[in-house]
Amino acid sequence: MPPDELSRQSDVLIIGGGMAGLSAALHLAERGLKPLVLEADPRFLGGRLAGSEEVEVKGWHFRLEHGVHGIWSQYRNLQSMLARHHLRPVFTPSQEELWIYRDSYNTRKAAVGSAIRYSIFPAPLHYIQLFLRPRFWRTIDLRDISRMFHVWSLLIMSVGIDPFGEDQPMEGLTLGDSVKNWTPAIRAFFIGLARNGFSTHAEEIPLSGFLAFLRFYTILRRDAWAFSYLPEDGGTSVIEPLANKVRELGGEIRLGEKVNRLEGGPTWKAYCGEETFSANQIILAVDASAASFLIKNSFGENDLYFPRSLANAIVRLWFDRTPKPGPESGMFTGDFVMHNFFWLDRIYAPYRKWNKATGGSAIEVHIYGPQEILQRADAALLAQVITEFYQVYPELRGHLIHQHIQRNAATHTLPSLGSKERHLGIETPWANLFCAGDWVRDPMPSFFLERACATGIKAANAVLKSRGLDEWSLVDYLPPEPFVGWIEKLMITGRKRRVAKRNSQKQFRK
Amino acid sequence: MLNYASNLIKLARNDRHLNPGVAIYYVTTQCNLNCAYCEDFGARRNDHAEPPLHLDQAMKILRVIRSGVDALFITGGEPFLHPDIDELLTRAKQELKFREITLITNGFLLAKHDAALSFVDRLIVSLDSLNAESWSQTIGVPQASAESIHTNIRNYAARQKEFGYQMMVNAVLSPETLPDAEALLEFCIENHLLISFSPQAVNNWVRHELIVSSEYKAFIEKLIAYKKRGAPIAGSMAYLQTLINFQPYDCYPTLAPRIMPNGDLTYPCRPFEKANNGQGGRPVNLLNVKTWDEAWSKAHAAYRQPPRTCHSCFQQCYIEPSLMQTQPLTFLYEYLRYPASRKGNLKTYAAG
Repeated sequence: MPPDELSRQSDVLIIGGGMAGLSAALHLAERGLKPLVLEADPRFLGGRLAGSEEVEVKGWHFRLEHGVHGIWSQYRNLQSMLARHHLRPVFTPSQEELWIYRDSYNTRKAAVGSAIRYSIFPAPLHYIQLFLRPRFWRTIDLRDISRMFHVWSLLIMSVGIDPFGEDQPMEGLTLGDSVKNWTPAIRAFFIGLARNGFSTHAEEIPLSGFLAFLRFYTILRRDAWAFSYLPEDGGTSVIEPLANKVRELGGEIRLGEKVNRLEGGPTWKAYCGEETFSANQIILAVDASAASFLIKNSFGENDLYFPRSLANAIVRLWFDRTPKPGPESGMFTGDFVMHNFFWLDRIYAPYRKWNKATGGSAIEVHIYGPQEILQRADAALLAQVITEFYQVYPELRGHLIHQHIQRNAATHTLPSLGSKERHLGIETPWANLFCAGDWVRDPMPSFFLERACATGIKAANAVLKSRGLDEWSLVDYLPPEPFVGWIEKLMITGRKRRVAKRNSQKQFRK
Repeated sequence: MLNYASNLIKLARNDRHLNPGVAIYYVTTQCNLNCAYCEDFGARRNDHAEPPLHLDQAMKILRVIRSGVDALFITGGEPFLHPDIDELLTRAKQELKFREITLITNGFLLAKHDAALSFVDRLIVSLDSLNAESWSQTIGVPQASAESIHTNIRNYAARQKEFGYQMMVNAVLSPETLPDAEALLEFCIENHLLISFSPQAVNNWVRHELIVSSEYKAFIEKLIAYKKRGAPIAGSMAYLQTLINFQPYDCYPTLAPRIMPNGDLTYPCRPFEKANNGQGGRPVNLLNVKTWDEAWSKAHAAYRQPPRTCHSCFQQCYIEPSLMQTQPLTFLYEYLRYPASRKGNLKTYAAG
């Protein structure tokens, strides 16, 4: 068959049917273009927000997914986009997050989430509220208190440095370096927070990414820590309705189309097995590792910087009774292989229904590494999780009715910032090829789902601009609270003044 | 006041099941307008509207409400479409002795109900624009109807003293009505009306065009400045501040529970009840219980603690009471700092 017969021409080609690709497709379709979205997965759209197959537990069916996601109060473009099309589900608001800390002596629990978001102290002092909680005192000791200034210096650093906005890659520095001298409990608390945010160990978390993370999710506003859960798996509650909307507006979505190579020119070509798709413009909306592969394979470009992608394991356990009342989610720190948990029967509607009917409960546990733990056999990993789990929830011993382990491929972005020349932004060195996704370089402060959505909109805007069509306005993020805003301004102007002074002294010496 | 204090104690004990300061009864879901921004009832949903209850049954519902709450909002749909609305309002005030009755109407049928108006303490009328031509399109009626609503509002504003109610205009801010909003404010000042503004919601989120609009933000900032100078703008400063950026707020929806026409109590709030995903619902019908306390504890037993900060809807009827309850010091400061705006302050929030 001549290649032309297998070739498809479309307005705009979007590679990747995750949040970034679908956001871009939606905004293009709304302006009358007919985007074609190619998703590599043969069955499910959505990337990290995709729904997956069902698992059966005693006659009840539960749909699986990549893992529970938080929709944070600062995810404003995502929420606004969904609401504009009546696709925004009624979320399940988070109530409380539990910190479970274990050292060699014992296991301690403290509820921390609500103390941070409803603190009576203005940002950046809101963490002081934790010290008003007696249970928090029990998790720390004198050493922690005497070395608290380390914590403050990191927090203040995140107020004064905006890595994404000011373009400060801080190459080579990691969170691990910054917390080296901290005391055990506080170190565990911060590393736990960071691991929950970044899905990896502190030694691997770039300092620039961590500071930006603190700024976006907690340090500049108390309510930035307020978040909600989706009412059920990401595929059912967001991705599939969103994809239907794209189709309704004239976009096309094809599953099982893995693009291997791109070819530039007056028209772009995407090679996908035996098929070729061509378009005037391409939006590359795949995850960082897939983007890295595609760019290397297409242009032989080896020198570019791509944030790392991480794998993880998800364990789900079903019980025939509920545990003692407590927060719906939390994190484990210290001597645990599991890193966080979510009681699905307090979050997701299908599980809530099951709980009402049978009195059962279900928990989802995330394991973010390290690699040697993730490499263990399923049975070994499950056995360890269950053993540890019973130490925290002894009342559920003997009530396990089903267990499930899921391995997620390395697609989750480890947020970081490379140098301007090497880290791809929305506009790329190749004309008419744009990038979108949570790994893309952009001064926006946002992360993950929100960043994927917002870069998707920006990539769509780049296409619209080149065609002389109206661009979309993005929703602003909430500004810092007044007090922390004032400190931030002081620090940033102070830093600028110092740099200017140093430069003028250098000139004088010359 | 006692209720307010007991809710503060509940808050201190981390109990989110706060007792209501006001109950909102939807006497009917029928409506005679078809407002473009309406996501709840409205004429286009009349085919699905529940038939209004007979007067005796409606009175039974009000009696149960009265056993626990002394401030009542009557709304709809359009409450004047209930066949016995005059009688219901009269008896609610005379027989059940509600301390405060607020009626929320679109003003279309106002002229036919003089009999009931003297039993209303507060009359809230929906009015988004004085430009009859454009507004008639927003509310889905002929221009002449929009003009007659304008006339009704003028007439009944002039008769506030005669009937003894305080009249308030509730305006929905949308990209279409925003250009006329300032004229509307002037109209209210001239006619001695309070005015409250709510941004248009789409899918429990502020309409995208508003959230990205600098004109909208500038208008809200102007409103705050006007209010500081004493303009009769309802809603607290804290509420107006929330409307600038739409930051999340600590929500306590049980402060203003809603009761459907058939007596179903929605819990903890309308959005959760409508979503029907197990977080809320209609746990009890007031016709099947004797007292409010019984209904309230049944609702609590069915859905446990209501959530907070769902950063979901930005409806004034949920924001304002929640802010008022959770930030007593802010409100005290506001009350002392801006005496001129007291008139449009405490307890004047509008229910949507």
